[in-house]
Amino acid sequence: MNLTTLFLVFAKFGCISFGGGFVLVPILIAEMVEKRQVISMKVFGNLVSIAQVTPGPIGINSATYIGYLQGGIPGGVIASLGLIFPSLVLGPLAFYSIARWKDSLLVSGMLKGIRPASLALVFFAMFLFMGMSVFTAQIPFHALIDLVKTGTASIPADFRISWGGLGICAAVMLLMWKTKLSSTVLILLSAAAGALLCR
Amino acid sequence: MPEISYWKKLWVLFYTFAKIAALVVGGGYAILPVVEETFSKKNNWLTSEELLDMMGLVQTVPGIIACNSAIYVGRRVAGFGGILAAAFGVCLPSVLIILVIAMFFPDLDPKNPWLLGAFRGVRACVTALVTMTAFRMAKKVLKSWFEYVIALIALVLVLLLKVEPVYVILGAMPIGVLYAWYQLGKKPLPARDGAEK
Repeated sequence: MNLTTLFLVFAKFGCISFGGGFVLVPILIAEMVEKRQVISMKVFGNLVSIAQVTPGPIGINSATYIGYLQGGIPGGVIASLGLIFPSLVLGPLAFYSIARWKDSLLVSGMLKGIRPASLALVFFAMFLFMGMSVFTAQIPFHALIDLVKTGTASIPADFRISWGGLGICAAVMLLMWKTKLSSTVLILLSAAAGALLCR
Repeated sequence: MPEISYWKKLWVLFYTFAKIAALVVGGGYAILPVVEETFSKKNNWLTSEELLDMMGLVQTVPGIIACNSAIYVGRRVAGFGGILAAAFGVCLPSVLIILVIAMFFPDLDPKNPWLLGAFRGVRACVTALVTMTAFRMAKKVLKSWFEYVIALIALVLVLLLKVEPVYVILGAMPIGVLYAWYQLGKKPLPARDGAEK
């Protein structure tokens, strides 16, 4: 991807990601892993992991990393600029119009539609990450379609439960529920547990 | 605060948002309390109502939450220059940190078994974080049958039919408007002003 494409692609992401980093994850996967195939799913998973442990917004972190892999330092800078460009231009306008017309049919209706759709994207991200941690391969949802179409479905041989991953994931959820540990601490603990358990 | 000059304000915006971005891990929602601390409690640049407004707005307009917060605060404090100062402040540390990491660690497919295991552990942790976020969001978003139906259809589209997320978001907008219009038609009271037809 050249610098212009990088900028435009990330500007597009900046326009359509509503409500935080995890909404951006499936959008990035669809574009970078599946459509353009510039990085593999595994590398993407590790990238989001790094974006999580380093300070700063996850979106900017991922954009910089992907941009760097595509076009060195200028690539990293251009991709991040692309991501924030729509906000810089449209942000003040959007703040104004949403605050002014949030009770109007058009704006409230649009938000009504966007919110559950963005929620679906976060659940999509959840399934994608499950395929990279709790299971050994992506969850074979296409088997469901086969099941509806033909009545039979086969589950790929490389799809198994990864017990180490499942254990860490369950332990983190329990810790989040019962304690007030910050996500940074949880991630560092998980890294140590993974290094010991998942080799 | 009448004493502070325009440039000084820009510097404080830039510096504060750079500090927030450099120190707060996890992005988005994690920075909101720090923004409150700095701009509302310490500097008195934002009233608590404005802050509350901001929390809602930065999540409804597109873009990165941290960046949107910077833009909102920057505009309130120092206009367009403030927007630029705060937005670049929020991005600069991330870009620098990630560039350094990427330079020393460009291969995100390590062979070292310890490192591989550590990455697996972190991915499992991220799975837990995403899951918790998803259910917390669901509690807020799913208010009536309409939200359930849209969320379910959107999930089927991206998960099973491999529709690009972009089109799902774009498609959800007119459906939401139609639904709001339909709801308006059901109301016995006359339409509020500001609403069309």
